[in-house]
Amino acid sequence: MDNIAGRKSALNWVVQISVFLLVALWLFPTVGLFVSSFRTADQIATSGWWKSLFPSEQNLVIRAADPDDFRIEKDGLFVVEGNLFDGSGAKVISVWGTSSRAIDAYEAGQTADLGDGETMTVQANGDYVWSGNDEQMAGRGQRVFATAETPPEFTVKNYDTVLFGTTDGAMAKAFFNTLTVTIPATVIPIIIAAFAAYALAWMDFKGRALLIATIVGLLVVPLQLALIPLLTLHGSIVELWIDILGKPELENARRFAEVNPLGELLGYQPGDGVNAKGYLGIWMAHTGFGLPLAIYLLRNYMVGLPRDIIENAKVDGATDFQIFTKIILPLSFPALASFAIFQFLWTWNDLLVAKVFLIDASGKTTVMTNQIVELLGTRGGNWEILATAAFVSIAVPLAVFFSMQRYLVRGLLAGSVK
Amino acid sequence: MKKPFYTSVAALALLSGAAIAEDVTVFGPWLGPDQENVEAVLAGFAAASGHNVSYVGSDSFEQQIRIDAEAGSAPNVSAFPQPGLAADMAKDGFLTPLASGTGDWVRENYAAGQSWVDLGTYAGPDGSDSLYGFFYKVDVKSLVWYSPENFEDAGYEVPTTMEELKALTDQIVADGETPWCIGLGSGGATGWPATDWVEDMMLRTQSPEDYDAWVSNELKFNDPKVVAAIEEFGAFARNDDYVAGGAGAVASTDFRDSPKGMFASPPQCYMHRQASFIPAFFPEGTVVGEDADFFYFPAYEGKDLGSPVLGAGTVWAITNDSPGAHDLIEYLKSPEAHEIWMAQKGFLTPHKGVDTSKFSDPTLKKMNDILLGATTFRFDGSDLMPGGVGAGTFWTGMVDYAGGKSAQDVADEIQSSWDALK
Repeated sequence: MDNIAGRKSALNWVVQISVFLLVALWLFPTVGLFVSSFRTADQIATSGWWKSLFPSEQNLVIRAADPDDFRIEKDGLFVVEGNLFDGSGAKVISVWGTSSRAIDAYEAGQTADLGDGETMTVQANGDYVWSGNDEQMAGRGQRVFATAETPPEFTVKNYDTVLFGTTDGAMAKAFFNTLTVTIPATVIPIIIAAFAAYALAWMDFKGRALLIATIVGLLVVPLQLALIPLLTLHGSIVELWIDILGKPELENARRFAEVNPLGELLGYQPGDGVNAKGYLGIWMAHTGFGLPLAIYLLRNYMVGLPRDIIENAKVDGATDFQIFTKIILPLSFPALASFAIFQFLWTWNDLLVAKVFLIDASGKTTVMTNQIVELLGTRGGNWEILATAAFVSIAVPLAVFFSMQRYLVRGLLAGSVK
Repeated sequence: MKKPFYTSVAALALLSGAAIAEDVTVFGPWLGPDQENVEAVLAGFAAASGHNVSYVGSDSFEQQIRIDAEAGSAPNVSAFPQPGLAADMAKDGFLTPLASGTGDWVRENYAAGQSWVDLGTYAGPDGSDSLYGFFYKVDVKSLVWYSPENFEDAGYEVPTTMEELKALTDQIVADGETPWCIGLGSGGATGWPATDWVEDMMLRTQSPEDYDAWVSNELKFNDPKVVAAIEEFGAFARNDDYVAGGAGAVASTDFRDSPKGMFASPPQCYMHRQASFIPAFFPEGTVVGEDADFFYFPAYEGKDLGSPVLGAGTVWAITNDSPGAHDLIEYLKSPEAHEIWMAQKGFLTPHKGVDTSKFSDPTLKKMNDILLGATTFRFDGSDLMPGGVGAGTFWTGMVDYAGGKSAQDVADEIQSSWDALK
C-alpha cells in the first residue's frame, strides 16, 4: 500500500536526506570561510569560526588607561577610572586577575589589594577603579586579565582592505586586466574549436580518426610541462618579429606602446623594447591549453546532431561553410556555452599561466589572483584576507555560472547520449 | 651627519645629469607593509637620480625571477632573499657584475665588510669570480622573544648565558608552566624555523670554521659535531614539558601562530626563539619594547666561542643591465638609503656610516647593537647550502626529527641527499 500515487516511498526520503546531507557537507567549509571573512586575524587565530556565532567565554588581556594622562587626585591618592571595554556593556566579566599567573583571582566587583595601598576594583560590566600613590600610578596602565562572556563580533574591515586596498585602484586595475585576459582567452579557443570540431565531425578526409585520437591524447599533457619551452618560443617569435620589422628606437617604442595598445600586446615595452611577456602571449597560451578539451567536447556534440538535416542541406546545395554557420552553430549553442563557462572559470582563477606569460617587473600587468596573493603579505599569514579575497574573486564566476547554468547541464551531457 | 648625505646626493645628481632619465624596474620578495617601506627608499632614489622607478613584489620570488630571466623580461635590479639563488643565476649568466670599486667600498664601510663581500661574490658563466651582490637590509636571527610583564609576574630574570637559559627553562617547568613556543609549520617551507635553531646551536657548540666547513659540506652533515647540534635543538623541542602543546605539536604548529601563545591569557609559553621580523605576527596592538621584548639567544659560558650571531639578508643584484641599475646600487651605498628604511620598521644594517638615532624605535637600535657587537657573524647556513638541501631535505629532515626520528638517521639522510646533488 506504500506505493500509492501521491505518497512518497521510504527510498525517496532516503534519497532526499542523503542529498541534503551531501549539500550540507559540501557547503560546510564554504560557510566557515564566509564567517571567517568577517573576523579579525586575532579572532581567527584564537578561536574557531563556529564559536564566533554564539556568545562565548573568553580570556582577555586588557590594559587600564595610561595613568600619566588619566589619573585624578582624590584624597591624597591618585585614581584612574574607566571601562575596560568600549562601555557598551555587551561583555560580562565573571572573574579577573592582575597577574598572568592568577587570572581568576577575583570575582567581579571584588577589590584587589596590589600591595602598599594600591588597589583595583573591576565590575562585571568592565568599569574599573584603580588607585594608588604617586609612584604606583605611573608608567603603563595596569594589565587586567578578565574572563568575560563575549557576544559575537564581526567586522567588514577585511572587505574594505581587499576591495579598496592599500594602493589606490590596484584591485580595480587588476580586475580589468583579468577581464582583458579572460574574455579573449575564452572567445579565441571557442571559435577555433568550433571550426575544428565541425571538420572532424562532418567532413570526410584521410587520417581523420588519427587526428581525433591525437587531440584526445593531448588532453593528458600537463600544462606545467610546456610552460617554459613555450615562453622561450614566444621570446624567439618576438625576436624574429623584430628582425623582420627592425627594432624600433627606444623613444619610438615608447610612443608606439603608449598610443597603441597593440604595441604592448606585441611585446614592445615602454622600458626596454623587447619582452616575451604580454597579453598576446597569454591569450595564445590559454588557447593552446584549452583547445584539446574544447575540440573534443564540441566534436562529440556535433557528431550527435541528426544526420538527416545536414544531408538535406547538402542535397539543397549548401556549402560546408553555410551548413556550419546556418545549422551547426545554432544547434551547438548549449555545448558552446558550457565550454565557455569552463574556459572562463579556468582562466579567471588562473595564477600560474598568468605569472609565467603575463606578469613582469613593470607591475602594470597584474591580475586579480596575483593581487590577492600579494595581499597576503611577505610571509603570507593573513588568513582573514585570504577568506575575504576568496569571496570577492568568486563573485564574477558565480554571476557567469548562474546566468548560464541552464546551458551547463545540457552541455555536460553533450555527446554522451546518441 | 648631514654632510655625507648631501655629497651623496650631489654625486648622484652629477651621475644622473650625464645620463638620460630612464625606467628602472626593481623586483623583490616584499609585500604589504614591507612593500611600502622599500617603495619609500626607491622614491628617495627616484628623487635623487631623476629615474622613474617601479617596484614589484612576489611571494614566489625564487620561481618568478627564474621565469622572468628565461623570458628576457627580467627586472633591472632584483633583491634576492637567498645568496644561493643569486649564485645560481650568476653561473647561468643572468647577473651583471657590479661596478668596480663596490667591493672595496663594502670592505671599508660595512661592519665585518670582508664577509659581506665574500657572500656577494660568485662565479660567473666563464667560471671567474666577481662581485655580483650588494647586501642591503639584514635580519638578525639569534633572538629570543618574551613578554617582560609575564617575566615580572613570575619573577624571572633575562638569562645572559646558555646555562642560565636552560636553568630558567627548568625553573618555568618546575613552576608548572610551559617555557617555549616552537612552531615549524610554513606551508611548503615547513621545517625552516628548526634549521635556524640548529644553525644557532652549531655556532654555540662548534667553532666558526666548523660552521663554514659544514655549510660547504667539507664537514659532513652526519658528522658527530652536527648531530650534537641537532640534539641540542632536540633538547628543547623534543621535551613534552618544554614546549607548548607538547613535542608532537612542534611540527604541526604554524610558525606565524606559535608566538601568539606568549600573549594568551593565561600565557601558554614564556619564550620564543625567532628572527627580527616576527613582531609582524604578534597580536594586533602589541608594542615591541613594552608588551614584547627580546634578548640575545645566549652562548655557553663554558665554551669559549664569544657571542656568535646568526643572520640573513637580502642581496641586491643587477639582472638586466642598464645605467639606471648601476645608479641604484650606487644610491644604496649612501647612508640616506639606509636611514629612510631605518625610520620605518624591520630594518637593520651593517653600514657603519649611518646615524643610528634615525631608528624608528629603540628596539631596532638594540637589535642593531647585537649585530654590530657580534664577535662572529654567520649567514643563515640553509640559505647558502644547495637548494636541494638548504630548501629541501634540511627542512623535511627537521620535520622528521621533530616527529621522533633519531638525529643520526636524519643527518645521514640529509648527507646522502647532498651527495646525490654533487
